[in-house]
Amino acid sequence: MSIGALDATSAYGRVLGVTKPSPLAETDNSPDMGGGFGGMIEKLVTDAATSMRSAESASAKQVAGKGDLIDVVTAMGAAETALDTVVAVRDRMVSAYSEIMRMQI
Amino acid sequence: MDLKTSIAVSASGLRAQSLRMRVIAENLANADSVSRTAGGDPYRRRLPTFSSEVDRQTGAAGVRIDSIQSDKSAFQRVYQPGSPAADAAGYVKKPNVNGLVEGADMKAAQRSYEANLSAIEAAKSLTMRTIDLLK
Repeated sequence: MSIGALDATSAYGRVLGVTKPSPLAETDNSPDMGGGFGGMIEKLVTDAATSMRSAESASAKQVAGKGDLIDVVTAMGAAETALDTVVAVRDRMVSAYSEIMRMQI
Repeated sequence: MDLKTSIAVSASGLRAQSLRMRVIAENLANADSVSRTAGGDPYRRRLPTFSSEVDRQTGAAGVRIDSIQSDKSAFQRVYQPGSPAADAAGYVKKPNVNGLVEGADMKAAQRSYEANLSAIEAAKSLTMRTIDLLK
């Protein structure tokens, strides 16, 4: 899933680079500027992966009999929310990308 | 995000109520626990106390388990001269646990836990519906 989102992001970035080469290429190279769409998605995916990892470790502890059920539930909920957000943003972005691709020049 | 914080606050409520449930279970299980020595004190009923704690990061007030204190009320005295825990007069001190009180407390803990669960469910569904706006 994350690979697909990143692919789409880079494709989107490439399209942006083609249409407006100089300013956007610069913002793309510096994610700190906050202008890079790819950087934003990368951060989202990293956040989602982090929360999913913590959910995984919490549930592993629970299975081993050492965990706290409430911790598992809250970690799972956070991971679910993060993943859903990433998926929604990706879907939105991919549809925007395909709309741009369909555009008559 | 505030909805995420509210889930964390409700989770602290769940933790507090599950501890309360545990203490009630201890009280009920030990309702007949008497002293090992003759004339000694039996199991003393325990009570958890909670206080609110503000999380510095989020500024939200969650529940903190303050302490588990013992109930200071008097023990019941039952005449059982044959018991090893009986004093010289033949009386055995029984724990100050009242099944009815524990039952009512248990119901209250259960309701409170359920209320926190509902709050988590509501916050979660609101989050999901907000994400659905993107779709």
